[in-house]
Amino acid sequence: MSEAILEVNEVTKTFGGLVAVNAVTMHIEKRRIFAVIGPNGAGKTTFFNLVTGIYKPDRGSIVFDGVDITGRDPAVIAGMGMARTFQNIRLFGSMSALENVMVARHVHTRTSYADALLHTPRYHREERKARDRAMELLAYMQLDHRAQELAKNLPYGEQRRLEIARALALEPKLLLLDEPAAGMNPQETEDLQRRIVGIRDDLGITIVLIEHDMKLVMSISERIAVLDYGKKILEGTPEEVQNDPRVIEAYLGPGAAEGVQ
Amino acid sequence: MLEVLIQLLPSVLLEGLILGFVYAMIALGYTMVYGVLELINFAHSEIFMSGAVAGAETFILLKGAIANPFILLALAILIGGTVAAIVAILVERLAYRPLRKRGTTNRLVPLITAIGASFFLQDLVRLIEGLWHNAFYRRYPSFEVFEATYTLPNLLGSLIILLTLWLVFWVVAYFFYWIYRTVTRTQGISRKASRGLWIAALVLTLLSAVIYRTTIFGDLGLTIQMKSILVVVISFAMLYGLNWLVHRTKLGIAIRAVAQDAQTASLMGIDPDVIITYTFLIGGFLGGVAGVLFGLLYTLVHPYVGFIPGIKAFTAAVLGGIGNITGAAIGGLVLGMLEMLGGTYLTFLTNGAMGTEYKDILAFAILIFILLFRPQGIMGEQVGEKV
Amino acid sequence: MKKLFQNSAFLSLLIAASAVIFGYWLLENPRSTLAFLLTLGALLAAFMLDIPKWLKVLVGGAILLLVIPWAGFKNSFLFELGVQTGIYAAMALGLNVVVGLAGLLDLGYAAFFAVGAYTWAIFGSKQANQFMPWHIFPLPGAYFYLFMLVAVVMAALTGVIIGSPALRLRGDYLAIVTLGLGEMVRVLANNLDHPINITNGPQGITPIQRPPIDWFIALFDKFGIHMSRAEAYPLFFYFLVLVIIGIVTLVNIRLDRSRFGRAWIAIREDEVAARAMGIPLLPTKLLAFATGASFSGAMGALFAAKQLYVSPESFTLIQSIMILVMVILGGMGSIPGAILGAATVTILNVDLLKTASDYLNDLRNAGFVLDLGIFKYNFANLPNQLEPAKYERMVFGLIMILMMIYRPEGIIPERRHVAEMKEKE
Repeated sequence: MSEAILEVNEVTKTFGGLVAVNAVTMHIEKRRIFAVIGPNGAGKTTFFNLVTGIYKPDRGSIVFDGVDITGRDPAVIAGMGMARTFQNIRLFGSMSALENVMVARHVHTRTSYADALLHTPRYHREERKARDRAMELLAYMQLDHRAQELAKNLPYGEQRRLEIARALALEPKLLLLDEPAAGMNPQETEDLQRRIVGIRDDLGITIVLIEHDMKLVMSISERIAVLDYGKKILEGTPEEVQNDPRVIEAYLGPGAAEGVQ
Repeated sequence: MLEVLIQLLPSVLLEGLILGFVYAMIALGYTMVYGVLELINFAHSEIFMSGAVAGAETFILLKGAIANPFILLALAILIGGTVAAIVAILVERLAYRPLRKRGTTNRLVPLITAIGASFFLQDLVRLIEGLWHNAFYRRYPSFEVFEATYTLPNLLGSLIILLTLWLVFWVVAYFFYWIYRTVTRTQGISRKASRGLWIAALVLTLLSAVIYRTTIFGDLGLTIQMKSILVVVISFAMLYGLNWLVHRTKLGIAIRAVAQDAQTASLMGIDPDVIITYTFLIGGFLGGVAGVLFGLLYTLVHPYVGFIPGIKAFTAAVLGGIGNITGAAIGGLVLGMLEMLGGTYLTFLTNGAMGTEYKDILAFAILIFILLFRPQGIMGEQVGEKV
Repeated sequence: MKKLFQNSAFLSLLIAASAVIFGYWLLENPRSTLAFLLTLGALLAAFMLDIPKWLKVLVGGAILLLVIPWAGFKNSFLFELGVQTGIYAAMALGLNVVVGLAGLLDLGYAAFFAVGAYTWAIFGSKQANQFMPWHIFPLPGAYFYLFMLVAVVMAALTGVIIGSPALRLRGDYLAIVTLGLGEMVRVLANNLDHPINITNGPQGITPIQRPPIDWFIALFDKFGIHMSRAEAYPLFFYFLVLVIIGIVTLVNIRLDRSRFGRAWIAIREDEVAARAMGIPLLPTKLLAFATGASFSGAMGALFAAKQLYVSPESFTLIQSIMILVMVILGGMGSIPGAILGAATVTILNVDLLKTASDYLNDLRNAGFVLDLGIFKYNFANLPNQLEPAKYERMVFGLIMILMMIYRPEGIIPERRHVAEMKEKE
């Protein structure tokens, strides 16, 4: 067993009276593809928002790559190498695809304010580096021909890919994908599946994904955690999860498991 | 020195309360529109102003025909409120609705439109008044009945002083307790400690009542004018009526439904556009009545009179928790009193170096402070950011 | 016909010809507002349309450096107009960084203008003797250039002080808080004559030192143009403003194309996504705020030197709104838009509305009777209140509402994708 890149310990978050995430503990190992599943409203996206620092947990701690990041600013956490995509695509619409990716190069670009004003050699060097790396990533996601297109004008599938390219530009150690296959047709989903495995194999990035497409989840994840009403009810391999009656109950309601069997 | 401050307290608070009722009525317009549209309706200060000006015109025009000042006032309130309501609905129809229909994503767009509407209305009223009378400053006529002064019993003043002292001591005690808690990192507040705090405050109050007995129970000369009584009575009736409307009628329920979730409400057969129009109508009417009462109190009105009360009423709305109707009313009263206290005592405490001109700054300081440290206001609940 | 207008050679010819004709007309009739507007129109067309770059530079240089100064000698109002336009253009460019790029609605922008203006006004006049020892004030005019930098720093610092609490707030709250803070700075300027006299209160400060221009007069003497000091100052300020506009535009473009510009736009488009991409929210917003403020501060110092006089009345809410209207009219986020917006609003405000007022006044005084047969109107009956120049709020309000409803992207929309547009064709 290799060491964990992300350790979530007993994390709880409530909104008003609603407990969105309830004492969830998860240890995610390096270079794994890890899936978080559960019915709608189970707290999966809230879980992502807690991990990336958008929400502050009420209780519990989150350790990323050996550093306690509980309550840290999302920008700092992103800079430490945690990247994400969003369930409802959140690109910067009025920027080109290339610029979208270059935005995520912000922390890796060492241009000072004075450099930008005076156009020093360092500005040119860093700007070229950022542009080259962004183009590389666009090519990796097969979007290089769209580089100058405005993000909002891209078709849906390409927007999803652009979001991944943008996330990769952070040079992350951990990539969180929030329903990457939502709204895709079977062909696109298959393509996405290859890409996700590729990102892990080529770049050595750990991947955590939230997904409703069970075929995708079962075929690429090595471990799966199931959330229901904010609680983690189960964690295991795809086989273990598939055969557990609690999972079926979580999706279909109590008593459903017997009927299915 | 301290005796003077104590002696002034009841009349300052009373004046603040009267002003606070006007703020409360304006604040309701901000809060209702914010609740439904999530938009700071910058033009609301001009809706208030148009009510004030329309009220002045009513008084001036009908003064000769109707002798009874109370009937005049009733007509002025009716006309001022109606004019303001019409202006409010027109602003919604002509400026905000086109944006809503287009479905703009840029959140600056409605805000800029609101600011534009505010400025446009100022000069529109100036133009109308200018063409009509060749002058745009209007003065409310004064009536002996309204100016009549009544003396309030000294006991009331003494009671106000004692209650205020208690509150102040309690706040100070609570503040020190809060510091103590922060330093020692204790979580929560125990029931025992909180009872101890208010008992301690009570003891201190009684102690100071004994020390300053001649001042507190002496002749306080607390007076109130007829027009102030009218302002309080009318505003109170309006606020009560609104509370009934929002909580006890079908329209009120529909407004609250749209405020919670316009999309779901429309699935339930509620037309959001109709409800939004009603919201502007009600908020506008209240704003207009507030304008007439403001004119009654301060006499002089003009097209630019809305700006400062508007900002303060917005502060009141934020203070009470924006979107919250009860909160807006309470926020208005609190702000009115704080402002009067600040305005009067600042001059005293700095020996005249910082005069009442800083009283407007005080409202802004409160606004910024509240927004930074308790953005949900006194009454509001914490709303999670939608991600 | 349409083809003809897409032909670059034809367009070039058209623009060159109109520049020459209108420019000549302006030189002959320096008091004609129409000639002035048409000349500026030629300048704008040269900039906007697809013609060779050398021609753009030629037309621009000829109009800005030759025609307007020359006409300005005959009608110094043109210099006044030019300098005011320039000051406002620089401020609009600054506000464009804040509102246009970073998407932060700042309604108290004139406050930074006030900080810059008072920075030079206090030390460039006897005012500083009121509260400082040594009695060496006013500082000599040559210090003006140094104090322009000081004004930049002071305004940026004020921006950071105001911004650190305000920028933590959500967008709509930010608008109302900056409005309040802007008013606060004005109230302070109005009241800081007691207990210590720093700003001289409502009376304002005058006279303020101007930068020395003996070298400037001497330079023109060499070319056989002799000017008195009174004639030279407007020309000097005109050129100074042109230089500053150049610098400010360059700064704007360079920031826009750096990682900071991208970060600002990312924040404007989606704060949550921007943070998730590693962009620190508050520092990035503060940087935008301080950058915008510093432009305003520099222009404030210039304004103080040009006017010889500052008072709190020059820094009201309507000033902030006017600059905002410039940015909105031109197009939020668009650099040429900000300049065009500034020119349009300034000319509208200091020239067209006043001209219209004067015209109506003349008609009124002359008792002109309009006779349309069925409709007769004697202009002597025109109410005194009908003076377009006094209705700037209505004009600004109307511009804001109409632009937001019909063209929220402005006259010259932000173009972040020029390359793409060209590729497609």
